[in-house]
Amino acid sequence: MDRRDFLRTVCMCYGGLATFGFPVVNFARVRQSGRFVFVLLRGGFDGLAAVVPYADPAYRAVRGALAFNTDELTTLDDTFALAPGLAPLHEFWERNELVVLHAMAIPFRTRSHFDGQAVLETGLDRPIGSSDGWLNRLLQVMPGERSGIAIASGMPRSLVGPHEVQTWSPAQLGVVEDAYLERLATLYRMDRELAGRFEAALQQQDLVGEEETARAGAPRGGITPLMQAAARILRQNNGPNVAAVEFSGWDTHANQGVAGGALDRLLGQLAEGLVAFRTEMGDAWSDTTVVVMTEFGRTVRPNGTRGTDHGTAGAGFIIGPRLARSAVIADWPSLADNALYEGRDLRPTLDTRAVLKGAIAGTFDLTAAQADRVFPGSDGVRGLYEMFR
Amino acid sequence: MDARLRALNRFGLGARPGERSRVGDPRDWLKAQLTGDPPQLATTPATATEIADALLALRRAAAGGTDQDRAEARRRLMRIAVEEQRTALTERIRSGRPFVERLVAFWSNHLCVSGQSKLPVVVLAGSYERDVIRRHVLGRFEDMVLASARHPAMLFYLDNYLSIGPGSPAAQRGPQRQGARRGLNENYARELLELHTLGVDGGYTQDDVIELARALTGWTIAGLRGPAAAAVARGRRRARQQMQERSDGSIGFVFQEVLHEPGERTLLGRRYPQSGAAQAEAMIRDLCHNPATARFVARKLVTHFVSDEPPAAAVDRIADVFRRTEGDLRAVSEALVDLPEAWSEESRKFRTPQDWLVAVLRALEIPEANNRLAPSLRQLRQPLWSPPSPKGYGDTTQEWADPDSLLNRAELARSLARRVGRQRIEPRRLADVVDVPASDPLHTLLADTSIPADERIALLLASPAFQWR
Repeated sequence: MDRRDFLRTVCMCYGGLATFGFPVVNFARVRQSGRFVFVLLRGGFDGLAAVVPYADPAYRAVRGALAFNTDELTTLDDTFALAPGLAPLHEFWERNELVVLHAMAIPFRTRSHFDGQAVLETGLDRPIGSSDGWLNRLLQVMPGERSGIAIASGMPRSLVGPHEVQTWSPAQLGVVEDAYLERLATLYRMDRELAGRFEAALQQQDLVGEEETARAGAPRGGITPLMQAAARILRQNNGPNVAAVEFSGWDTHANQGVAGGALDRLLGQLAEGLVAFRTEMGDAWSDTTVVVMTEFGRTVRPNGTRGTDHGTAGAGFIIGPRLARSAVIADWPSLADNALYEGRDLRPTLDTRAVLKGAIAGTFDLTAAQADRVFPGSDGVRGLYEMFR
Repeated sequence: MDARLRALNRFGLGARPGERSRVGDPRDWLKAQLTGDPPQLATTPATATEIADALLALRRAAAGGTDQDRAEARRRLMRIAVEEQRTALTERIRSGRPFVERLVAFWSNHLCVSGQSKLPVVVLAGSYERDVIRRHVLGRFEDMVLASARHPAMLFYLDNYLSIGPGSPAAQRGPQRQGARRGLNENYARELLELHTLGVDGGYTQDDVIELARALTGWTIAGLRGPAAAAVARGRRRARQQMQERSDGSIGFVFQEVLHEPGERTLLGRRYPQSGAAQAEAMIRDLCHNPATARFVARKLVTHFVSDEPPAAAVDRIADVFRRTEGDLRAVSEALVDLPEAWSEESRKFRTPQDWLVAVLRALEIPEANNRLAPSLRQLRQPLWSPPSPKGYGDTTQEWADPDSLLNRAELARSLARRVGRQRIEPRRLADVVDVPASDPLHTLLADTSIPADERIALLLASPAFQWR
């Protein structure tokens, strides 16, 4: 009996009893169309170093040693340009598949990574320790057959909640006997808290396929291999509709550099990963949306160590063919001294929830009322629904 | 519930077969471990001077060496790092005072440094745990935090070694760079408030972060004529000339008056006159005595040793001991043992990957860490001294019991068992390390000789019973 047969047996025998609620793949039911990937850049990535407001009169003076030369940038419009590392994203821009967001922030003012990530990932307007994640709420609200997956080490907060989700990360898997896993499964079924998790693990193994796992290899912290692996999972006919991916390394307190510097190289990896993701998705790209966000922006002025400290508003991206057109969406507050938030940060003029509501509604054809349910308490924040076709 | 197994697994690092019969009274067994000096490591893999030499060699190679020089310098650093990790993990595997080792790991994670992105931290992390955490693990909290503030690993990790007072003599004399706010880096000050002492809800403001950061300017690293000193003093020749060097050439803490922000500071409404290094030291001591710190630390300890949802009464009791004893960690640790909630039938904690793997090696009576251990911890997503953020690793079921991790453990258990299978361990003997009723199917499986012995060992190690402590 190979792994696949064994899993089918598990489904037949125990699927109906599964307490974990993992959605057993059933080919007769219709999978909800649309695919959504939430890419979280943990650490607070510097929006001003990624999407450069080169035409802001204060830019050069206020950024000092961290200011780019205009001729190194990829111009988007008469105000904004992409940093050198992000140049590959221009390909999306030309196909009307890129919306750039700027002066955007979570609705809660904090410079704590942990509070900031909590607010962004729970989708609430303040950090609440016990709340579920907004991607999980999205899975609860969406109609049809749907599932979610974390492409991450561990379960990101955004996916935590009652709708069961899977996790996947590339591991150097040793060869194990199906009989061993089967015996373990009988032990795990006795443990109320872990039973469903173990069963979900076995099913997830089956979904990715051992061949795919082997091919994905073990990315050494690189963004591209992980994005490619994510695409191989998402592009399947019965693949998940919602995925959370995360990357860290954005907390650039020192020596973040300019063109070719430490941060720009990281941005280059991000852009390369996003392009590779689209390639790997193949035909499935046509109903896919990728959103890239971070918990907060960074200080406008460089700090004393050629880096930037925790700030407020920053930049983000939406990428996908269902967008109406490429655009920079920013109610630009200016970098002039008197315009800065608390005299140091980019002033927020756009709520992350307005963007996310627009993105999920556009990807899954949700109503505004459904989108509001994903972000409780956000009724007063109008979703940017016009971003999508 | 077998209280002896609870002591061995919940407060210790995992039972060995037969060990429970030697425990006696479980609470006495744990408290006895807290007496005397903290356990010392068998060997010291590298002295501060050796570490400094290795870092300087890398700096020289990076500045003007060949590829081969750079590779050699890197290898030298990695050799120290690997040796440090092996020594620390071996202590966890063979320790006769496993409760103290758990406390070392807890505080090391609370005041964590991470080698994830900075090479100097990779090589200094072992010395950090040894000289900051282990030394004070049964001492006073404030002494541990102060030692942490002064250790080069922390000064590197959260950037304080680079921070310069904007009004300091060094900044005033240096060339003016257009538009740059000169000198301050608030990274360490913020995490000191948010993660090490008061907690995020501890009632401080952005102004407090900046005031603490200003007071901490000048707390930097000596003995590094390489990257650190150059970055600090680049373009500030006179400042560099005034920088003190340690007479023995070792790497270590130094207070540089020329980098220090002059003036009186206000933190949490209290005023601190200018007194050089004593200014920030007074602030840190006051932060450690703040009632918010007692609550924050108590909650974290109870979460670690009792429950993912720490009972309020237990948190109050620990916070009270912490306050009353002014952060006496021996007294606080004893109070943890005395919490009735830690011994209740319902209470259980999911083992973190590190604790699981160490428990596996103790159960198999493997005498020391080998070089397969570090890669295994990476595969389990909890490499030693490399948490993804200054918050350290979490320790709740939510964070570690995801489906993928369970499968990872199952596969790792299987391959470990294959390797030890040749040593003829009797699988049924291993049942002694977990608390499962006689009716549990695990016993049937362990006794089923139609299953290969090494697979039965793996079943025990990967079983749900072994995942809990």
